[in-house]
Amino acid sequence: MSYAYLFKYIIIGDTGVGKSCLLLQFTDKRFQPVHDLTIGVEFGARMITIDGKQIKLQIWDTAGQEAFRSITRSYYRGAAGALLVYDITRRETFNHLTTWLEDARQHSNSNMVIMLIGNKSDLDSRREVKKEEGEAFAREHGLVFMETSARTAANVEEAFINTAKEIYEKIQEGVFDINNEANGIKIGQQATPTNPALPGAGGAGGAVNSGCC
Amino acid sequence: MDNNVGQIEENPKIATTTANSNELVAATHSASIGAKAVTNILSNSASFWKNSGRAVPGRPSPKRDFLDNTNTNIGKSGGGGGTAVQRGDRTAAGGMVSTFRDYQQSVSDAWDTGDDEFCIISSNEAAAAAAVGDDTRISRQVSQTVALNVIETHSRSNQNHVSNSSEMLDVQASNADLIPGAASYAEDIKQDRRSSHDSNENRSRLRNYPGRPQLQKISTNSQDGEFETKIEKFQLLLDSPQLDLVALKKLSWSGVPRKMRAVSWRLLSKYLPPSSERRNAVLQSKRQGYQDLRHNYFKVDSQDETQQDTYRQIHIDVPRMNPQIPLFQQQLVQEMFERVLFIWAIRHPASGYVQGINDLVTPFFIVFLQEALSPDTDLEKYDMSQLPEETRNIIEADSFWCLSKFLDCIQDNYIFAQLGIQEKVNQLKDLIQRIDVNLHRHLQTHGVDYLQFSFRWMNNLLTRELPLHCTIRLWDTYLAESDGFALFHLYVCAAFLLHWKDQLMQQNDFQGLMLLLQNLPTHNWSDRQINVLLAEAFRLKFTYADAPKHLEMKS
Repeated sequence: MSYAYLFKYIIIGDTGVGKSCLLLQFTDKRFQPVHDLTIGVEFGARMITIDGKQIKLQIWDTAGQEAFRSITRSYYRGAAGALLVYDITRRETFNHLTTWLEDARQHSNSNMVIMLIGNKSDLDSRREVKKEEGEAFAREHGLVFMETSARTAANVEEAFINTAKEIYEKIQEGVFDINNEANGIKIGQQATPTNPALPGAGGAGGAVNSGCC
Repeated sequence: MDNNVGQIEENPKIATTTANSNELVAATHSASIGAKAVTNILSNSASFWKNSGRAVPGRPSPKRDFLDNTNTNIGKSGGGGGTAVQRGDRTAAGGMVSTFRDYQQSVSDAWDTGDDEFCIISSNEAAAAAAVGDDTRISRQVSQTVALNVIETHSRSNQNHVSNSSEMLDVQASNADLIPGAASYAEDIKQDRRSSHDSNENRSRLRNYPGRPQLQKISTNSQDGEFETKIEKFQLLLDSPQLDLVALKKLSWSGVPRKMRAVSWRLLSKYLPPSSERRNAVLQSKRQGYQDLRHNYFKVDSQDETQQDTYRQIHIDVPRMNPQIPLFQQQLVQEMFERVLFIWAIRHPASGYVQGINDLVTPFFIVFLQEALSPDTDLEKYDMSQLPEETRNIIEADSFWCLSKFLDCIQDNYIFAQLGIQEKVNQLKDLIQRIDVNLHRHLQTHGVDYLQFSFRWMNNLLTRELPLHCTIRLWDTYLAESDGFALFHLYVCAAFLLHWKDQLMQQNDFQGLMLLLQNLPTHNWSDRQINVLLAEAFRLKFTYADAPKHLEMKS
């Protein structure tokens, strides 16, 4: 299937916060209560529609353990969006956010859109991190914030799609150099950007399209 | 943490000498391994393919024999027969070569038609080879080709056909008896054929998850009854007062019968000594040593912050293993895994616990659990509390020691930045580029990076890509590799990737390739596919591990 744009995402955060489950819920619309450990990285993809345009999301789900950090770091480069996930029932996963953020900022391109996600919102009785704390952290660091539940699928679509919307807006504003694939964005055949702010947008369409999917 | 401490039995003893000295060795080893790995990467980057020249079971032996053989051969036969096909009295050791040139020479005449009556390629003619006489030797490669032909023929044939090719295989097995690997390879194929009916039945029940253990299949696998000659050979070796480890490795390379597996694995990993009269004493002291380790390492006040972090991580990870299988959801089982992993991590500070190592405990655990139960037990649903505590402790201790030995040769996989894995992934890339440049280009064109799919192959030794019973069969061979399996695993990964070439070439974009590569359809695999994979890996190693020219060509 052809697409107007392809956005690359990366999902990061401590081990066991539900990164793989969020991806599975988003790509397969199902929940697996116990998910085997992610080793290295795993790949997922789905098509969404924004502003009447087909946008393909290619998502790298990363292993959360510190030992894999040097491997997963290489996936920051080339990502247009990142979901930074913590577990609202485990305070330490929230405490580690600063480290994750530093890591992400240091290794990604400066325009990468980062969405902060407090996952497992269905487990409210075991909550250790208040929603307000998440909001405050996001405000302080200029992130978009959402609480999600991979189990009930609450806000999962929104988290992925809102991130895409942000990226899309940045493209419209001419912030992203969309001809540089290292920014995690590709233009497909459907794209007919008329915005003069886009450098070289006219000729780029066909050249980078990888064909149907 | 706390709930575990309660579980640990009262044991006032401090670690035995055995445990202590091991600990020291482990610590020293760990400390140096980081530095070593870095140097290795620097110095080995261009020479990983080099053969160590040491004798390896299941393969022809080193150069010396080859030269001897060549000389005598020329003397006796005037060079007419070449070395690929040799007279039996001299070839017990086979004809290992140490350079690609030697290898080429040794096989250059193997495919000449007409002038070599012993080199039979087509399966129909293989039976005729039998008529030539008992002392005929068929080159390993030829016998493998025959075997592979048979597999193919069989997959399309009916019962009549089966009995025909079965005779042929019998013939081949007896002929190829002295060629390491080939005979047992043929045996495996026969065995596979016999059990193909079973596996068809099993197939319908299998899940769609490669790498998700299918214990049922292990429990109902009735291969042992059909493996009688092999079992006898194992029995003979295991009963002898002084074990011939080389012979055991040779025999195990092509697969260990289930009822011999636990004891063979202990011996192969050098957890047990070759001398049979010392074995009980060693077992007892090792098992006691492990209990002492448990006692020492699980004292809360003795743990520093790092150790507690490690424990917390393991404690979160273990319940996530094999989610569909009730056996692994039992607290007793999870606690066993936690202790094994935690103690291993503490004793290997250079690497510590890395996710994925947990999966490497499973095969040992299953093999030792199986040993303790009757063959028809349903492992998947087995209630661990039915087993006496003493037996559980034995399973746990043996799993720990065997895992420790097993991981020794791949510890650089788990050190800082996982340098060992990064290096192996690069080696895989080089290798595929040399073996199959089309596949390599196809992957490159669509932006697929080897790290993206083969990192897990290296980190988890393919346990995630294969059903558990296949991993166990694979490890028979890994444990039988006398230089450690690290290099051989690389060739297994190459053979594994090449196995999927056709499907991969059909995928015409990044997404299709990645989705296929991370969910390769191995859920129907049995020992048969593993045998073929291993034979191919062996062939690749034989061909490429000593061929520097191939490597130079690409640059």
